[in-house]
Amino acid sequence: MSPRDHTVGVTGRQRPSVSLRPRTKSVAQPVVLPHQYTFDQLRKASLAEASDDDSSAFEEMESFPDVVPRRRAAKSFSHLRHPMDGLVALGRRLSVTLRHKSSKHNLSSSGDDSSEAEDHYYRVTAQSTHKRNTLSGSWASRSRAWSHGVNSSSINRRPSLNDISALHGLFVPTAPISGPIPGHGTEPPVLPNDRFAGAAARAAAAAQNELMELARREVVRVEHDLLNKSESRVPRDSESGIGIDLRDPSELPATDLNIHRFDPVSYLPAEIMTQVLSYLDPASLMEAESVSSAWHRQACSPHVWRHVFRRCYPRRPLSSTASKKKQSYGVGKATPNQDWKRMYMVRRALEQRWKDGKAAAIYLHGHQDSVYCAQFDEDKIITGSRDRTIRVWDAHYPWSCRKIIGPAPNDVTPAGPVNNPAQQATGKSPFATICPPSVPVGDIASSIDEAVDCHSASILCLKFDEEIMVTGSSDYSCIVWDIKNNYRPIRRLQGHRAGVLDVCFDDRYIVSCSKDMTVCVWDRHTGALLKQLIGHRGPVNAVQLRGDFVVSVSGDGLAKLWNVVDGHCVKEFLSKDRGLACVEFSDDGRTILTGGNDRTIYQFDANTGELVKELRGHSDLIRSLHLDSMNKRIVSGSYDMSVKVFDAESGELSIDMPGWTTSWMLNVQSDYRRIVATSQDARAVIMDFGYGLDDIELLEE
Amino acid sequence: MSSQITLTSSDGVDISVDRTVAERSILIKNMLEDLGDSGEPIPIPNVNEAVLKKVIEWCEHHKNDPVTATDDDDNRRKTTDIDEWDQKFMQVDQEMLFEIILAANYLDIKALLDVGCKTVANMIKGKSPEEIRKTFNIQNDFTPEEEDQIRRENEWAEE
Repeated sequence: MSPRDHTVGVTGRQRPSVSLRPRTKSVAQPVVLPHQYTFDQLRKASLAEASDDDSSAFEEMESFPDVVPRRRAAKSFSHLRHPMDGLVALGRRLSVTLRHKSSKHNLSSSGDDSSEAEDHYYRVTAQSTHKRNTLSGSWASRSRAWSHGVNSSSINRRPSLNDISALHGLFVPTAPISGPIPGHGTEPPVLPNDRFAGAAARAAAAAQNELMELARREVVRVEHDLLNKSESRVPRDSESGIGIDLRDPSELPATDLNIHRFDPVSYLPAEIMTQVLSYLDPASLMEAESVSSAWHRQACSPHVWRHVFRRCYPRRPLSSTASKKKQSYGVGKATPNQDWKRMYMVRRALEQRWKDGKAAAIYLHGHQDSVYCAQFDEDKIITGSRDRTIRVWDAHYPWSCRKIIGPAPNDVTPAGPVNNPAQQATGKSPFATICPPSVPVGDIASSIDEAVDCHSASILCLKFDEEIMVTGSSDYSCIVWDIKNNYRPIRRLQGHRAGVLDVCFDDRYIVSCSKDMTVCVWDRHTGALLKQLIGHRGPVNAVQLRGDFVVSVSGDGLAKLWNVVDGHCVKEFLSKDRGLACVEFSDDGRTILTGGNDRTIYQFDANTGELVKELRGHSDLIRSLHLDSMNKRIVSGSYDMSVKVFDAESGELSIDMPGWTTSWMLNVQSDYRRIVATSQDARAVIMDFGYGLDDIELLEE
Repeated sequence: MSSQITLTSSDGVDISVDRTVAERSILIKNMLEDLGDSGEPIPIPNVNEAVLKKVIEWCEHHKNDPVTATDDDDNRRKTTDIDEWDQKFMQVDQEMLFEIILAANYLDIKALLDVGCKTVANMIKGKSPEEIRKTFNIQNDFTPEEEDQIRRENEWAEE
């Protein structure tokens, strides 16, 4: 045992009341009040023990009769059968115990486990007599406990006043605190207790005499406490409720100083402690790191943080209808040496940026006309424009254009204001604006020289996944491109009689919608036209696919839900009066969002057809919507030139970003860290909430 | 299947228990499958009588629970909720609680181990380091500087 432990175990708790205060030696009877009171409790306890098997508080006492535990002294309660003995001893013990309550070594039994505290209280009383009992009775077990001498047991052990050393402490108040005191080290005290019982009583009485008033007050407090604790679940009067609620946990009197408390980190094997800690929330876990160096080691473990991080930020939901479109959730790569705690810290900082609406603007220059559509993943951003080209951009610094698909464009020089400060007066403006230099067209790999098939008119829509990209154009057709083979066209889908306004696809189907008022369902693998969904009375502006269901919205003001298999319209969702421009279908297929001329986002229950919510804030047509279910964000882009973010749960507007470009917003998409919006002013803008955050790349999947 | 078997605790006490109940413990289940039921007491050398009785009480109450098919660690740790009976069951002193956890680990009763770990986690949750130290009587072996350092590391990465 180290000297430090010694100090702690022996004098740490005793000091304030026992060792450092000079007291008069005078003979007096032990104060009657405490031991009577306690004895009553004890008797109740023992009675209850006999009669009430259901109470865990008592069961637990019962469960250690004369058993020899592996690490600590036996807990024997045979003294309960000798009330007088117990009573006398209790008087002696309690007189000291009570003074401890005023010591600074208070133990918190903070509100969340009041039953535990109650339980502990009984143990205090039981144990104090138990100490004496072990002295007279079970030497064998006692010395076994000594011989273990591990930190926890020595720290927890509270020296009995009945042994001689405690008396030394009592009568020699100037004794050095850390000096060896017989009976408190690894050696058991070897004196039979009976001879000193009287001395202990006198000592206690002496101390009591001096601190009588304090003790009495304490007793009242303790009694009050006990009442509170035993009734804390059903407070009978406001007084006890107040008594428990108003006190700071750290000020609670240490009614349970004697109970055995063990450091789980030293008691339990590391793998179990890892499991314990992995149930914590991040904030609690970070508090746990500061407990001790042993706790710090355990709490910082990546195994713990992996679970904690995953609980906060789960991986993509396992939904059969989830779209295959590749979108990062920002939960990092599951590599063996991943720094999960760092990831959490970065993620937390990122979430704060979203809360604050703090993002940088990165402008992608290159298109020569309106950028109608875009999709991005962690690696690339693909945009389609009225200039008939498709551009592939690097999603990372320096965000250069990697590829142009379409007729050879001219070089463009970015001109005019990059954003519109006049507009931004009412909302969030970028905290940083980055305009990467345009790469000269000649330096960009282009497939045009091979005279491959490409669109002969505006690119109105595009979607990609891991394997293919599908684009729709004003040339009435769709083209399927092979992403893995340098974006070579695979086939053209022909059948629409007007511009293809939107497209989407999954494992089986490619679904396109057109100004010709129809929706076409194609076989993804053969390109065969499987179904034509006819029913809209205006141009079909947007379409979404989940499983067997397609939802489409039209300029006629209707949203229609179709069954792809039989081609029938299953449901209709009405907007208030005017045309719809965009639609989102949640990954779980339960929620449909529509936006349009009404300047309102409608949220429908896909199953019941019910209008659930209306999200307001835009002052012009809502052109594009994106729902991020994982992060509970709805992002919208509007002809009012703003991009707005709504809380998907409350429907509240959370971020307003007006005027980040100089014209209409045509397409928006978001992931965990950014929004990519495209504008009629020929640019795409990355609204990057993770810009400049250290280690943000850890979150990339 | 309701045959009785006998378990012998570390302190030499024989406890009779339904075989189906005892088989909540994968350790005992495997042992019975391997050795067959000879009728002889099965020694449980790591668990004393008091703890073993508690564990059996738990197994008794949960004997009809579906055996969790998913042994997936991640799934088990998704929720930190404890059902009401288990909460009551776990209202024991710290020593007993830790002993139950150790026994559940040794006897390979995953659901009980989970409940035990969650109970300890709940004792830590929402507490300051000082409150945690008090709860478990832990000595703070950090210097104020070290403590400060940890706190700084955990502060907001920004601003």
